[in-house]
Amino acid sequence: MSKEYKYIGKGVPRIDADLKVTGQATYVGDMSFPGMLHAKMLISPHAHAKIKKIDTSKAKALDGVAAALTGEDLDYQVGLYMVDKTILAREKVRYHGEPVAAVAAETLEIAEKAVKLIEVEYEELKPLLDVEEAFNEKANLIHPNLGSYSHVQTAFFPKPGTNICHHSKIRRGDIDKGFQEADVIVEREYNNPSVQHVPMETHGAIVQWGIGDRVTIWTSAQSPFTVRNLFCHTFKLSHHQVRVIVPYVGGGFGGKAGIHLEPLVGCLSRATGGRPVKLIATRKEEYNTLPCRCGLKYKIKTGLMKDGKIVAQKLTLLWSAGAYADYAVNVTRASGYSAGGPYFYPNISTDSYTVYTNMVFGTAYRGFGHVELFWGLERHMDYCARELGIDPYEFRMKNLLKPGDITPTGEKLKDDSGDIRKCLNAAAKEIGWDGVKSEQQRIKEMQSGKVRGKGFAVLHKAPAMPTNTSSSCVIKMNENGSVILNISATDYGNGTYTPMAQIIAEEMDIPLDKIHVAYETDTDRDPYDWQTVASRFAPMGGRAVINACNDLKRKMSEVAAKVFECSPDDFIFQDEKIIHKSDPQKFIYYDKLATGYVYPNGNAIGGPLIGVGVYMAEGLTHLDKETGQGLPAFNWTYGAHAIEVEVDVETGEFTILKIASALDVGKVLNYESLKGQVIGGIIQGLGTAICERYVYDNKGRLLNNSFTDNKIPTAKDIPLEIVPIFIETPHDEGAYGARGAAEHPMISVAPAIGNALRDALGIELTEMPIRAEDVWKALKEKELVFEPATV
Amino acid sequence: MLNHFTYFKPQTESELLEKVKSYGDDTKILAGGTDLLIYMKQGITAPKVLIDVKGISEYSKIVTASDGSISIGASVTCNEVIENECINKHFPVLVEAAKTLGSYQLRNRATVIGNICNASPAADMAGPLLVLGALVIIGNDSGGREILLKDFFIGFKKNILKVDEFVKAIKVPAYFRDAKSGYLKSSRIKGHDLGICNVAMCRVNGTLKVAVGSCAVTPVLLPDFESDRAGTKFVIEAAMNNINPISDIRSSKEYRKHMVKVFIKRLLEKGNSH
Amino acid sequence: MLEFLHDDLAILSVKEGCGEGECGACTVMLDNKPVNSCLILAVEADGTSIRTVEGEVKDGKLSPLQESFKKNHATQCGFCTPGMIMSAQSLLERNPKPNEEEIKEAIEGNFCRCTGYRQIIDAIFEVTKNAK
Repeated sequence: MSKEYKYIGKGVPRIDADLKVTGQATYVGDMSFPGMLHAKMLISPHAHAKIKKIDTSKAKALDGVAAALTGEDLDYQVGLYMVDKTILAREKVRYHGEPVAAVAAETLEIAEKAVKLIEVEYEELKPLLDVEEAFNEKANLIHPNLGSYSHVQTAFFPKPGTNICHHSKIRRGDIDKGFQEADVIVEREYNNPSVQHVPMETHGAIVQWGIGDRVTIWTSAQSPFTVRNLFCHTFKLSHHQVRVIVPYVGGGFGGKAGIHLEPLVGCLSRATGGRPVKLIATRKEEYNTLPCRCGLKYKIKTGLMKDGKIVAQKLTLLWSAGAYADYAVNVTRASGYSAGGPYFYPNISTDSYTVYTNMVFGTAYRGFGHVELFWGLERHMDYCARELGIDPYEFRMKNLLKPGDITPTGEKLKDDSGDIRKCLNAAAKEIGWDGVKSEQQRIKEMQSGKVRGKGFAVLHKAPAMPTNTSSSCVIKMNENGSVILNISATDYGNGTYTPMAQIIAEEMDIPLDKIHVAYETDTDRDPYDWQTVASRFAPMGGRAVINACNDLKRKMSEVAAKVFECSPDDFIFQDEKIIHKSDPQKFIYYDKLATGYVYPNGNAIGGPLIGVGVYMAEGLTHLDKETGQGLPAFNWTYGAHAIEVEVDVETGEFTILKIASALDVGKVLNYESLKGQVIGGIIQGLGTAICERYVYDNKGRLLNNSFTDNKIPTAKDIPLEIVPIFIETPHDEGAYGARGAAEHPMISVAPAIGNALRDALGIELTEMPIRAEDVWKALKEKELVFEPATV
Repeated sequence: MLNHFTYFKPQTESELLEKVKSYGDDTKILAGGTDLLIYMKQGITAPKVLIDVKGISEYSKIVTASDGSISIGASVTCNEVIENECINKHFPVLVEAAKTLGSYQLRNRATVIGNICNASPAADMAGPLLVLGALVIIGNDSGGREILLKDFFIGFKKNILKVDEFVKAIKVPAYFRDAKSGYLKSSRIKGHDLGICNVAMCRVNGTLKVAVGSCAVTPVLLPDFESDRAGTKFVIEAAMNNINPISDIRSSKEYRKHMVKVFIKRLLEKGNSH
Repeated sequence: MLEFLHDDLAILSVKEGCGEGECGACTVMLDNKPVNSCLILAVEADGTSIRTVEGEVKDGKLSPLQESFKKNHATQCGFCTPGMIMSAQSLLERNPKPNEEEIKEAIEGNFCRCTGYRQIIDAIFEVTKNAK
């Protein structure tokens, strides 16, 4: 039985909407401070080169320049999991776009002029641009000192003397025996290029490194506490000396997790004696200098029984990290333990490698390895079904996970784990799936010039997070009974704050307009939170907020119990009143308790009301280095997309007529907000599927570092019909049963399109993105293409 | 950041002539600015003098002459072309092409003449104006000159203008009024984008004119065809002989060629069905 | 003009997303026509009127379009929102009853990376229902 809620589930407007629709929301780029300087970076024109000489003297001599730094000035190592990066390149550059020097000046114009006066002498080295080549043990080393880098040893396993900075393994069952038993073995390779997150607001930071090492950082980041922690590690500062403030953030999608421009801007500020310094990345720098999503080349080999059961699967994933490991090692790890997808395998073996290459380095990106992985996996499952002559829907239904099944890391799924079957069923039903198209039917339809096809793909993902991931919050009640919530979650568009206000409204029965979630997250003001990433905040942070409400109620009950001389357990909370359960005449308005209760005679008890709540996922474990066994996942969110596509067979151009996306979200907290996340995710998934990619020349120079040639979908590119479907199988641990769903809608959009195109045209696409030209080429290979010159 | 420059906004043509003459080499004409400002920001060009032609009132007009020809002034925007009744009625291919150029807000600044002067092989307005036999009206100190648009493009992003010359207007002769015409463009996404290739076509008094964009260093006007003899295969062959597309970040040359073929076929079919 | 509005006049709603006229985050109305302010010199705007989203609020009240954006969750990170609203408002002023295609045409020059556009289109549609 689902409970009726007053606020939970309702599509109430975002609490920040007024500021956003009036342009009053303030982002880092909108901020300025007295005496503030402007910074500019000099970036490497080469993908791989020795820095023989840098001369900043002309830049420093320019009027208005306050500081000019090079790598030689900054002997610090930074890194998230693998401490492999310097603030500015030292000795050599490892990607086209890497910062080699930076200037702080009175105006941006002067800083730009100064940067052009810096003279750098490079000696070009051969760049490694192919992940397979870099993976080879004989390849030149991009990081010869890999063995000496400090790293998180419980999770990451570098191989010194190679370009492999991490290797994740999963071993379950007997893979050789599985393949021996198989009736049919299917093997194929897949490929994804790097892409960009493209937040509308680029990365930016203002830092003031004051006297006495008091540092204040205003930054466009997803993770204020991670910025603080890594900043302190890098510069050997105590955490109380560094304050990180995150104002409104114009999109992140994983690209603003971790730490990026802050250390450089901090060093510039320190070099100027403590003046605030501002650095906002240009769009070109966003593409070229800030991180992207890793490329992936992978091979999937599957052993199948004639009845449609999968008996063995072997996956080899080569992740192209780019020049630095950043989040790539964790993407490798997460995609490694998740590599089988939501299917049951009696025997599975996965090897997932992070490989350094001389390209823009990769980081977290919405879906964290899964968007890339599921492209191949779900194209592959269609391929398997076809090889067996089984309907791809039936094939999936035979193999999808269910409660009681054991996952590749040894986790036994429970009844609250979510229902992937329901998702696939709902999505396939919505597009009217009625079986694969025959070749005759296809050829017949081609005569008309337009062919339609249907396809679907499933998905899953768990938050990729440390075993001790936690959230905390403080609810402060004001004199009039309104409340302020302090959390360190950031709302970079994802809608973090509004459901938290709804939870307080629900738990405390306070109207929404009396609840404020303090934005501009501030590590000095707000309690700790790990990061707003991985689709984890609503279920986990929500629990912290519920716990804080309970703490607040307990404190209110204790005071009311004294007033009415009864037990603290005797109360309910309704209409902003604490009311005695069996005697409704006994009640106190919240505002009378807010700063302490005052008796008629003036005596006062209680005191200001503050509720504190924490939540930590318990029971997670590290994964065994050799077998990958353990419990990595707080929860799994399952889903499926189904698509109908129409293709112009002459041009390869296609239109998505309809997409139906079903996700088992556990519980909808805010319907409109969730819908927005899902549709936004679908369209980002569409972008990665049809047009987005990094293109390099043979010297490793990024050719498309602008919106002119690195396109994202516009309003004209969206599917004609989008149908989000929410399945609600409650998750025991999540707030109100909720699971995360921010990343998931992006996963598996591409293979659903690929599978629909397969259905329409019989073409096999294994590389992303799918451009009209690629469809045309595939048709041409099938000799099905229309050639106007011959008519 | 932009370089430092001096900005002039002449109110008359003679004032413009005088400025162009006195500043010569370091001068750029500013109309919509949607290409020029990008080049300046990227440091591709750094003019010392910008001369804004938007102050000259006759340059902002679309004029229909008594003979039925039209003349589009130097500061007429693409949206003004799209909204112009006469052009919609009698030269609709210009509207079709203008609608594919950039986004709505960009077209509120981007000018037809600017698109032509920039001389990009992908220029959306080039193909339709080429098949409509457009004349470029050039201003200079010696009383000006007129040349056919097909002779205006001389290389990759290069036009025939001399240092002290500028384009006042572009004229479409009455001869092409109400000609059957069409424009097709291929791009990577459905939203605003630079083209992979484009084809413009027009039939007038037994002659078929075809222009191809993004398939050579300049937009290409094919030699005229005798309309009733021009079968699909024949026109495609002629096109293939006159274009030389490259493979680049937007497309392979094979796909460009293929799309040109498809567009020729479709435009011919559309023309024949009239 | 973008820098002049944002940095000198502190009209902070005018955002730079690319500086090349591709993304539309800097869209303002110049003499009631939407334009990319990043591709216009401030001096070119001499003698014109400029409308930004700040001016859409009348007597402390959101405009019907702003209200509809709020209700339909047509804003997420909010960075594209001011430019998006200016493009949409301009559309409604020249065509009070646009169809879906016309709405998409009008906002194709405004990139939004968060919403996937659907709720934006819905928000614009909803305003047209009350139009005469």
